[in-house]
Amino acid sequence: MVSQRRINITGWLFILVPVLAISLFYFYPMIQALILSFKSGRGMNLDFVGFDNYIRLFQDSNFITAVKNTFIYLIIQVPVMLVLAIFIAVLLNDDNLKFKGFFRTAIFLPTVTSLVAYSVVFKYMFGGDGIVNKMLMNFHLISEPIQWISDPFWAKVTIIIAITWRFTGYNMIFYLSSLQNIDKSVYEAARIDGANAFTQFFKITIPLLKPMILFTTITSTIGTLQLFDEVVNITKGGPGNSTMSISQYIYNLSFEYTPDFGYAATVSYSIVVMVIILTLIQNKIGGDKK
Amino acid sequence: MRNKLPKVLSVLLASAVVLSACSTGSGGESSEGSSSDTKEITVWAWDPAFNIAAMNKAKEAYAETNPDLKINVVENAQADVVQKLNTGLNSGSTKGLPNIVLIEDYRAQSFLQSYPDSFFELTDVIDVANFADYKVGPTSVDGKQYGVPFDSGATGMYVRTDYLEEAGYTLDDLQDIDWDKYIEIGKVVKEKTGKFMLTQDPNDLGIIRLMVQSAGSWYTTEDGETPNIANNEAMKAAFETYKKLMDSGIVKVVSDWSQGVGALNGGDVASTPTGNWITPSIKAEASQSGKWAVAPTPKLSGIEGAVNASNLGGSSWYVLNVDGKEAAAEFLAATFGTDVDLYQTLNKEVGVIGTFKPASEGEAYKAGDEYFQGQKVVSDFAAWTEEIPNVNYGLNTYAVEDILVVAMQNYLGGKDIDSVLADAQSQADTQIR
Repeated sequence: MVSQRRINITGWLFILVPVLAISLFYFYPMIQALILSFKSGRGMNLDFVGFDNYIRLFQDSNFITAVKNTFIYLIIQVPVMLVLAIFIAVLLNDDNLKFKGFFRTAIFLPTVTSLVAYSVVFKYMFGGDGIVNKMLMNFHLISEPIQWISDPFWAKVTIIIAITWRFTGYNMIFYLSSLQNIDKSVYEAARIDGANAFTQFFKITIPLLKPMILFTTITSTIGTLQLFDEVVNITKGGPGNSTMSISQYIYNLSFEYTPDFGYAATVSYSIVVMVIILTLIQNKIGGDKK
Repeated sequence: MRNKLPKVLSVLLASAVVLSACSTGSGGESSEGSSSDTKEITVWAWDPAFNIAAMNKAKEAYAETNPDLKINVVENAQADVVQKLNTGLNSGSTKGLPNIVLIEDYRAQSFLQSYPDSFFELTDVIDVANFADYKVGPTSVDGKQYGVPFDSGATGMYVRTDYLEEAGYTLDDLQDIDWDKYIEIGKVVKEKTGKFMLTQDPNDLGIIRLMVQSAGSWYTTEDGETPNIANNEAMKAAFETYKKLMDSGIVKVVSDWSQGVGALNGGDVASTPTGNWITPSIKAEASQSGKWAVAPTPKLSGIEGAVNASNLGGSSWYVLNVDGKEAAAEFLAATFGTDVDLYQTLNKEVGVIGTFKPASEGEAYKAGDEYFQGQKVVSDFAAWTEEIPNVNYGLNTYAVEDILVVAMQNYLGGKDIDSVLADAQSQADTQIR
């Protein structure tokens, strides 16, 4: 009886430290930010303004542009990246493939590069005189350089290409580990029943990967909503705010303009609300309906 | 029911991840924690070739008479200085903040007014009358002086005379012209030499700032707060001139600063109208020595009061209201505030043109520069400095500029100028409060 109690106390003590740390470093700033989001003013001169900041959100065309841009990235980039990741994972899971380790490393490698470093490299590759334009011109695919960074449409394309390059390998690793847990006998049985590769992929691989697809969709969605480094370093949000992300707008409100930390906190909370809504929707669609 | 919990948890977890990313980062790393009697101060600035180099020269000069004071000059990118200063001042803890900091003139008021008691008043420390008039507005609040005016952003038009000659022009043809004439010359240069006349980065409206100030106007009215876009004749003329420039085919579009400098050094463009701080970057290409010259800035045509002189960028030194402020203020007063000889060194060795009026009487300011065919560029800039209209940059230069960048895209895309400016005005009205 006594020893049982001691075990309990030891257990609680173990939990106490992380609980305190999480409260201090996660929940306290969360609550502070929420309170801050009801204040407005320059720098330190903050006053309570009630819901003014939240009303301002809906009239703020910069914010609306940032949300639109972010959702364009989300709707185009996340599906493209995940399909690509599944495709590559299935290819690399093939038993007959040689140099598997090399390919896996090569495709995963972008994930561990520095965000800023790769963004800067992309900026130069896609510049007016950059290597991408030079190659396309040499292959006679285009007759004059594409303004990858200074044209509103192509700037978005550049950002999407960049984040796809960076994060496809990361998602591929999840699919690969999932694929290796699928029992080979399932495929054998299917082959005996006469299922071709196509049917096997859609009737076996995809359903068995479903929990992983849900997981990667949610993490990629959150990642995209927080997009910052690429936009800041490749296009600076331009031309004319056409690539600005919500996170960059928060940065601008806090540091580029006359600082209004209250309103910046409000914009931050708008991301929280979006993440909650999107995650609930994805859980509804993708989650198990037991 | 058993299924509910993980879902709620995953949502909470997701939002926690987001929030932790949103809560802004820490202040600067530790630098000093001096009490008033310790003889050590810290300076933050950016640009090693220019501001940092200048500060180090000042440090050397000061050490001759005051060897006790230890001065740490720390290099930070300008964006980092702005961010660290904002987080530091906002947290209410002055630990980790420097004693002296360099702030760009466009941003100065935003700091001085957002953090009223955080800066040390220098009214009695320096004599404001000794500095260029247009620098006084950004560095003071309600008649109280807070900054030591430093870098002059006086603009000029740097030109490649060899390309001009090939196109049939001389430097005399560029004296006191307006932008229409500039475009006309640019077209001939493009036709005869195949070289672009200038570069532009669509995200950087520096040239609009330059044009608007040359007409004595700004993004905001004289109170520094009310957006001044829709009924601003200078703004309208600047927008129209910008579109003419872009449509004329004489502009090489670049995507950032270093590509712009690359185009200058690579001989791709025939001119650049910009602040005199570009001099070290142009001179970096030694092979082009003797090919460059500097003409006055073109002026806006059809605008009354527009002059052939303007300002772009420029920055000043500020003392933070923390321990060591007296020592910091003394140091600034003895160097950038009074030392005429120091300014000669700065000019000869670093290429800095200050805004300290007595310095222009010195030797270095009258010397010809071989790189610019013996032209006395410094005294030319000093003369233009006196013509620069004094405007109040107010608090919101960069917030308004972000709105103008979008407006410019719409205007270049074919929208009518008046409605573009009216839209920008109403957007700025909601943005700035």
